[in-house]
Amino acid sequence: MPARGRIAFVAPRFAEGDTVGGAEILLRRQAERLAAGGRPVDFLATCARSHVTWANELPAGRRRAGNLDVELFPVDRDRDADAFRRALRAIGRGRWRAEHEQTWLRHGPRSEALCRRLAERASEYERVVVGPCPFALTVRAADVVPDRTVLVPCLHDEPFARLAAVRGMFARVRAVMFNTPAERDLAARLYGGGAPRRFVVGIGMAPFPVDPDAFRARHGLAAPYLIYSGRREPGKGTPLLLTYLAVFRARTGRDIGLVLTGAGPVDAPPDLARHVLDAGVLGEADKHAAMAGALAFCHPSRRESLGIVLLEAWLAGTPALVNGRGAVLREQCRRSRGGLWFRGYAEFEEALLTLADNPALRAALAEAGRRFVLRECAWERVEAALLSALAA
Amino acid sequence: MLCAVMTEKAGFRIGAEGVDVDAVAAQVEAAVAEKARRGAYDDPRLARARRADLLDLDSSEDLAAWYLDSLAEAARVDINDFEIHERRARFGRLLVAFKRLIWKMLRFYTYRLWSQQNQVNELLLAALETLERRSREKTADLEARLARLEGGAPPPCPPADE
Repeated sequence: MPARGRIAFVAPRFAEGDTVGGAEILLRRQAERLAAGGRPVDFLATCARSHVTWANELPAGRRRAGNLDVELFPVDRDRDADAFRRALRAIGRGRWRAEHEQTWLRHGPRSEALCRRLAERASEYERVVVGPCPFALTVRAADVVPDRTVLVPCLHDEPFARLAAVRGMFARVRAVMFNTPAERDLAARLYGGGAPRRFVVGIGMAPFPVDPDAFRARHGLAAPYLIYSGRREPGKGTPLLLTYLAVFRARTGRDIGLVLTGAGPVDAPPDLARHVLDAGVLGEADKHAAMAGALAFCHPSRRESLGIVLLEAWLAGTPALVNGRGAVLREQCRRSRGGLWFRGYAEFEEALLTLADNPALRAALAEAGRRFVLRECAWERVEAALLSALAA
Repeated sequence: MLCAVMTEKAGFRIGAEGVDVDAVAAQVEAAVAEKARRGAYDDPRLARARRADLLDLDSSEDLAAWYLDSLAEAARVDINDFEIHERRARFGRLLVAFKRLIWKMLRFYTYRLWSQQNQVNELLLAALETLERRSREKTADLEARLARLEGGAPPPCPPADE
């Protein structure tokens, strides 16, 4: 086996343009870092851009994206999307039977062409990095050469993590790369603390220049605002944030708005709608400017394995307010001293009032968060952990 | 490096290491508990937030615990936990005294209804808590049995070429 052999990265989607997804971004950045270090890297993904429709929107075939050789494959057409959605709903609600799991595997977004190509070229790959966890494609790709597969699970505490197929995948792969210690602890709780080799790797982040007043001035935002960046959907907690903020405004009379960046519908309550700015998918510089001008970055999701946008917000100089029912984000805030958390509306109201009334507290949280990211997410540290995991 | 300062209102200590967020979280929790004692959350507008909580926790293992906690909080009704107010400035004190008198006159009847309602609430809550506990124990037993039967090995998943 070559000492610095070829690496294949496999993900359901390739992060590019408005195809946003934390796990996909994480895998792409890790692949790019390895490629920049001279490692030959192939990135295999499907032609889908939407994680809802899984329609083949991008052309299949090989191309160059930055320093990566990317090959896209069509999502199988013979899948029963309705049966898949029914299974998804049953599993998502925590009430599923074995046949739901089989349907999820059989009719979930997968690509036989991708798995076939991976199997054909398996002998060329020193390691195959697959992720994230709750996709049929990941489960199948991990089975092609499990003894050379490194899993990037991006594990959430959700019913999908309890599927027998996911549990089996954890047991079979060569190594697992987690994003945070909290995610590693969750895996230990779910699957036991034994094999395979487990590493906390995460993502490297570099500081960026930012003007806190630019976004506010461009959009004429006079009132302080919370910001959330990412997909807008129930799984990410955005309906919860919209409802909480509407109730907060009604109860406290405080004029605090909300800026949302990212993709997906925004269904704001009528009494909040005119205080919400849906900025859509922004470029990195605009997104960071929007974060920098905010009172706090609010991440309402319970199910995160890292929260890249939270790290970006800290780098932009903004404190965090996160859903404390999710262990990962709460622990990130605790470890970094960069944010507060809430477990229910009453704590949300109190924490937001505390942040709004204490600029010195906000500045101290933001500074601690920034230092945490610069320390924990320095590319040198992340790359060393990544190489260790691949060499294991 | 940050110097140690106290913020203007809440008295948070900010040192070289930043803020002790656990201490701030504890202050937030204490403030919430105090406000709850004062009835600050007995507010119909919070029903929206509770519905959002319910939807957010729908698939979570925390749901039953959260729901039972909320139910326990709501079930033990205390009808003495409010102050009698009067918004009108004119004859305000007189009106408050009048309302207190009405309250005292109706108390014998209201207390009886309140007591019966609390009994029903407590019985229902106890029944639900018992059912939830039994169900949790049964699930844990079944999971342990399953793990023993599988001999600790994870179940196989379909082969890649299926």
